[in-house]
Amino acid sequence: MHKIWAIVRREFLDKVRTKAFLIGTLLFPVLMIGLSLLPVLLNRRESAPKRIAVVDGTHGEVGMKVTEALAAARRQGTEGTRYTVSRVPAQNRTDAVRDSLVALVGLEQAGSETLDGVLVLTDESVDSGRIPYLGVNVGSMGDMNKLESELQTALRLERLRRAGVDPFVAMPALRPIDVVTQKVTAGKLTGESGGSSFILAYIMGLVLYVVMLMYGIQVMSSVVEEKTSRIAEVLMSSVTPFQMMLGKVFGVGAAALLQLVIWGTTATLLTTYRAQLAKLFGASPDAMASMATMKLPSLRPDLLAVFLIYFVLGFLLFAAMYAAVAAMCNSQQEAQQAVVPVSMTMVVGYVTMFSMLNDPSGSLATTLSLIPLLAPFVVPVRYSLAPIPLPELLLSIALTFGAMLLVVWVAGRIYRVGILLHGKRPKLREVLRWVTA
Amino acid sequence: MYQNAIELNGISKRFAGHTAVRSLSLTVPRGGIYGLLGPNGAGKSTTIRMILSILLPDEGTVTLFGGEAASRALSMRIGYLPEERGLYRRMIVQEHLVFLAEIKGIPRARARELTKHWLARLGLSDWGKRRVEDLSKGMQQKVQFIGALLHEPELVILDEPFSGLDPVNSQVMRDVVVEIAREGRTVLFSTHIMEQAERMCDRIAIIARGEKVVDGRLADIKSEAGVRNVALAFHRNQDAAARVLADRNLVARVDDYGASAEVELAAGAASDALLQALMAAGVGILRFEVVEPSLQSIFIAKVGLDAATAPAREDLAHA
Repeated sequence: MHKIWAIVRREFLDKVRTKAFLIGTLLFPVLMIGLSLLPVLLNRRESAPKRIAVVDGTHGEVGMKVTEALAAARRQGTEGTRYTVSRVPAQNRTDAVRDSLVALVGLEQAGSETLDGVLVLTDESVDSGRIPYLGVNVGSMGDMNKLESELQTALRLERLRRAGVDPFVAMPALRPIDVVTQKVTAGKLTGESGGSSFILAYIMGLVLYVVMLMYGIQVMSSVVEEKTSRIAEVLMSSVTPFQMMLGKVFGVGAAALLQLVIWGTTATLLTTYRAQLAKLFGASPDAMASMATMKLPSLRPDLLAVFLIYFVLGFLLFAAMYAAVAAMCNSQQEAQQAVVPVSMTMVVGYVTMFSMLNDPSGSLATTLSLIPLLAPFVVPVRYSLAPIPLPELLLSIALTFGAMLLVVWVAGRIYRVGILLHGKRPKLREVLRWVTA
Repeated sequence: MYQNAIELNGISKRFAGHTAVRSLSLTVPRGGIYGLLGPNGAGKSTTIRMILSILLPDEGTVTLFGGEAASRALSMRIGYLPEERGLYRRMIVQEHLVFLAEIKGIPRARARELTKHWLARLGLSDWGKRRVEDLSKGMQQKVQFIGALLHEPELVILDEPFSGLDPVNSQVMRDVVVEIAREGRTVLFSTHIMEQAERMCDRIAIIARGEKVVDGRLADIKSEAGVRNVALAFHRNQDAAARVLADRNLVARVDDYGASAEVELAAGAASDALLQALMAAGVGILRFEVVEPSLQSIFIAKVGLDAATAPAREDLAHA
């Protein structure tokens, strides 16, 4: 036991003391901070009103109304206007006026003369609902969404009026419908929205995939290093190959777990204190107020347990495969090729997770949960979206655990022979003989 | 107290389509230096790997220290330096040595003491906190010896310990080996260089093609082989000497090294008859000495020259 412990510790320290570990550990929280603060900060950045010229080629009041509606638009949570609008009447010569105005768009040096964009209203465009906008910010989805919704409201009113319908009667009827979701778990309201539990499922799946793949590859390169540096033989005089393999897998696994814990803790701290953080970065009070109303997903203890169980099972399963494949190879390059089927299996697991997102309780989900190589990805994501009946969950865990034991055993047999083997890579038939011998 | 450090009883190991070791029985008594000799590919490394349970024999038994336990359970009492050596390149030297001691079952605190002691002993104290990859090749070799020896094992097994060593480290290694033997501990080492074994070993076993050719005390082996050898060195007229040595009435066998030779006298021939013949042929004689046969000549006498060359071999790790 002392011996395995020494191997686990060596492997753990070897992985934790690398620059890659340090960078990976720090980078994630930095990204987290960035992602959670970015919307708030961007909100703050939207300071200057957009200068828009409306080329009005319509007959009647439509152009005027639209211009007024745009001028009245307010930036989110503030009193500032969103647009500085100027209307240019251009009946029958819209193209010429449009072109002359476009020449002013996006001129840096022109000062007050410059425009951000040109909106072209004609009778046809108003009727068809396809309204040209030529501007510098057409790539910004946010800007375009807002412009569209402003125009939508203004033009709807105008169309209703034209059709002789009283807008004050019709508008309430046209109010958009939004399903307001709240997640219920085991008869209790969690206070989370559907969106946030989706985000949680997605992040969990991503983390599972990335961490297992990253650390699986580390197990592989560490086995190859031991083999090529010939230190394996010294180790094998003191410990069995199986102990060697387990020590390695546990050591690397502990490093992976440590990184997960650091990430989890920072994520929790960041979400808990993000209001304070946002203040630190100078977010506006309104933006913070809107942030506070958005309830963040919480990692329930049972979900955390499921996540960890499958992480451990999945890691052991895949790490053992990586170790076995690496033991057959003579160089890192060779191992990287040989290991592709294992990595592909993980990619399949990762992709399958997305099929869970649509129907987490369907028969596809149930079936996939019972396939040991996919279950470590599928089940945690499923569990975070919808409850899984306990017998089904236990069956999945039992199957995955059984498969893990089998894979570890087979890997141990391959490892035992492979680690001493140098020269040409063994054929599949030989490997089968090692396992059955 | 056990009598024999190692007893091999009819062990065999076959790899795909080729037998590496064939019913080999050896006894390595406690204390002293034991040489396992043989040409490359004779099965020395396979034998050593079986002693250490790295490979399991297909037949036969390995007994260590007269007991039942397998080598891994006894790893605290055994030191092993494999033929192919290696260290973790990124590791700190002293942490590496502590690790090597720990996997043999030495408690951490004790492993630290031993590491410090041995680094000082081989003059590497200043390098203990450096990474392995920062060390020169010679220093890495020293670290590897320390790894095999620092836990002061009763039985030290060294596979080709002197191959690839620079002369300084070779001397350091020899001194350490001799000292271990002087303390009453047992050293088993393999080599294909006969001269080396001849100088250091109390006992030897010669194996060729996986089979034992001869084993026992070096002195006994030599006296059994008889003292009918003559060592010669010439400084003139070597062609004439070659003609004389080709006379089968005088000389049974020649190990010709050009300017020198070791010959085995033919049955019934006297050493002075050979001397006279050489003088008569006008050979310039630098040395003429009746000697004990060298291990090299014993080996060639026992197995023939062809056995001294390695057979084509499959990879030894095949199982």
